[in-house]
Amino acid sequence: MILLGSTSLQLALIFCSLALVSGFINLVKRDLRFSLVSRRGLMVSAFLILVATLALVHQLMASNFSLEYVARYSSAATPTMYKFAGLWAGMEGSLLFWLTILGIYVLLIGYLNRRRNLSLMLVVNLVFATVMLFFLIVTNFFENPFTLLPPGASSRGMGLNPLLQHPVMLIHPPILYLGYVGFVVPFAYAIAALVTRHMDANWIRLTRRWSLLPWMFLGIGIVLGGIWAYAELGWGGYWAWDPVENASILPWLTGTAYIHSVRIQEKKNMLRLWNVILIMSTFILTIFGTYLTRSGILSSVHAFAASELGIWFFGFVLLIILSCTILVILRKDELTSQNRLESFTSRESGFLFNNMIFVALTLAVLWGTMFPILSEAVRGMKITMGSPYFNRTTVPIGLLLLLMVGIGPLLAWRRTSLGTLKRNLTIPVATAIVATAGGMLLGLRQIYPLLSLGLVAFVFAGIINELFRGIRARRRISGESTLTAFRNMVDRNRSRYGGAIVHLGVLFMFVGFTGKAFSTEQELALKPGENTYLKGYVFKLDRYYEVERTNHRAWIVDLSVSRNDRPVTILRPERRIYIEQDSQVQSEVAIHSRPLQDLYAIAGGIGGENNSVALKIMINPLVQMVWLGSIIIVVGTLVAIWPSRTDQRLKERLA
Amino acid sequence: MKSQRSKFVILIAAVALIVFGWLTIGTEEEEVPYVSIAELHENPNRWEQRRLRLGGLVEAGSIVYSADKLSVDFVMVQGDDVLPVHYSGLTPDLFQDSVEVIIEGEFRDDVFAADNLMTKCASRYEVDAGAPGTDPGTNN
Repeated sequence: MILLGSTSLQLALIFCSLALVSGFINLVKRDLRFSLVSRRGLMVSAFLILVATLALVHQLMASNFSLEYVARYSSAATPTMYKFAGLWAGMEGSLLFWLTILGIYVLLIGYLNRRRNLSLMLVVNLVFATVMLFFLIVTNFFENPFTLLPPGASSRGMGLNPLLQHPVMLIHPPILYLGYVGFVVPFAYAIAALVTRHMDANWIRLTRRWSLLPWMFLGIGIVLGGIWAYAELGWGGYWAWDPVENASILPWLTGTAYIHSVRIQEKKNMLRLWNVILIMSTFILTIFGTYLTRSGILSSVHAFAASELGIWFFGFVLLIILSCTILVILRKDELTSQNRLESFTSRESGFLFNNMIFVALTLAVLWGTMFPILSEAVRGMKITMGSPYFNRTTVPIGLLLLLMVGIGPLLAWRRTSLGTLKRNLTIPVATAIVATAGGMLLGLRQIYPLLSLGLVAFVFAGIINELFRGIRARRRISGESTLTAFRNMVDRNRSRYGGAIVHLGVLFMFVGFTGKAFSTEQELALKPGENTYLKGYVFKLDRYYEVERTNHRAWIVDLSVSRNDRPVTILRPERRIYIEQDSQVQSEVAIHSRPLQDLYAIAGGIGGENNSVALKIMINPLVQMVWLGSIIIVVGTLVAIWPSRTDQRLKERLA
Repeated sequence: MKSQRSKFVILIAAVALIVFGWLTIGTEEEEVPYVSIAELHENPNRWEQRRLRLGGLVEAGSIVYSADKLSVDFVMVQGDDVLPVHYSGLTPDLFQDSVEVIIEGEFRDDVFAADNLMTKCASRYEVDAGAPGTDPGTNN
């Protein structure tokens, strides 16, 4: 099996090189034979990567510790599902996993386009082959997961890092990778459009779903990472502006700008250059993020170990940037569009403004993330940007964005008359004023939360108003029931109403972010029988006790919570000791989740002075809104992606 | 038409400039320099009263918890340089002898008062693998 894996990986490298070389020859000579070799070589290579991955998974499941990778990230006692998670736990496996996802995308795109877009696909495949070749070189020569332990050495397996033994860790990496890697598809089409000089909106229509899908996956992946940090790391938050987190949000930001601005190219054939630059930046940022987390150049809590790979990744990123720049310069005449903005109060300029805000947000995060490297180069000293920087910059930009979420959809294409604008704005503005005033009456005084509240109300009223007006108009014309009218309306314009649902989800997330500003915490030591007060809740330490489990021993603390003498819940934070992993200690957070607030407790040292337990308890308002918001965003994206009935009828007629 | 276009370009450039200035000017308060223990000892006055970030190893046997386990004293080492650290708060799970830590806080009266203590988890697993007992390497 090990031989099968390593051989497949080597063969994949050979086939991929073959595909790349013949693809280039075909591009120059236009020889059909080379084009066939290129296409098939790439497919075979992708297939071989899947074989290699299955071989590694098999070794992980079979606990073959003669393989160095398996010995490091698994052990006989590791629960089965976490043995599987070993695939992405370490550097070598995670790079192979990156390739696996790329392989899946390549096979899918290749299959779906086996008889379509042939001239475009030649270049698309060439881009796929380039990216694939790079990662194949890395996994074959630098970080090979099929390396055997040195002869004579034996191991019973180190086991998977207990921190990673959390259900979320089973789905967070695959989904994140589906997002990261998926952006290669629209990127490849953009390059193909440039190379073949088909710079109309065709490539954008072809990749509409293939940009929304990775965008959605990347978003889910980021949120799942937040959930994991919240439920497992025990500091009570879900986002810390850590370089690794920033690396994942950067392509998401440019990707979000992209899925907005392509709408203008679809509708008006404007912004060709801008869209190409956005998707290029997004792809470059995904590779850059993959590099950041593996290079060790930024100190991060959850980065992989430093490795020699840095220079190679850096070279690859430079190569992409260089090729993209050259290609754009060569095609700059074809990229300028004939249409111009007609008015500042138009949907187009709304989208443009939205894009500028996203770019500002990207730059703010990028600047803060890269500051240690920049400052070392310029001032000779490594300086980190603390979270105050990120909060100062991203919060106001985020609120501005929220304002645009509200205004943008109210603007009409081409130009909006002042009268229409006023009419559309009345209800949202009135709602915003009422909400802000209500917030002030309830004692809210800080400026950002107040602004956030007002803007959330503003956008919410706008979306609901838009939906109701649409439904009413349909009912008046066709006499449909409200529900049918709603369904037909959404089906007629899935992009628009899917987008409206996504925006609704964004609102919930903003509510959650705002709530986080009001979390309270207490760190203290309690003895059995003692209690403490936090925001009207009484936390009483009943007792603590020891339990023996399959791969660890746990100390469990019973912390009963009551309010007004009525019991609310019993929080049971744990402190686990994993004997197998040199008695590594791991705390299990206890969370009691309600829509409006989470009660959160974590146990530190147990058995201090007089049997006390060191505890951290928190009350985190509205955290659940962040998770709920992200679910709504997924639903909205799926609505936008789903084929409409009119599409299907068209297909049937053509068939 | 031409003039309106250039007006638009000027407007965007101005906005970009303002945003860039707002991002980059006046960030001193938010900057956390990454210093070495040697630098800290060489010129303590320069670094006092400002937030700093340091990375190093926890000296084996130096960890002393307070009676209520809500704070801890330990010694951080970087090669031959040592620094006594006082951290208040619950310690992260991987905090123990010889692990690599990153601390944030202020240097006062020869002791580093940290309010943020992070352990580098993944690297321990990566570097230690197969050869238990060896020092996890630093990669800063």
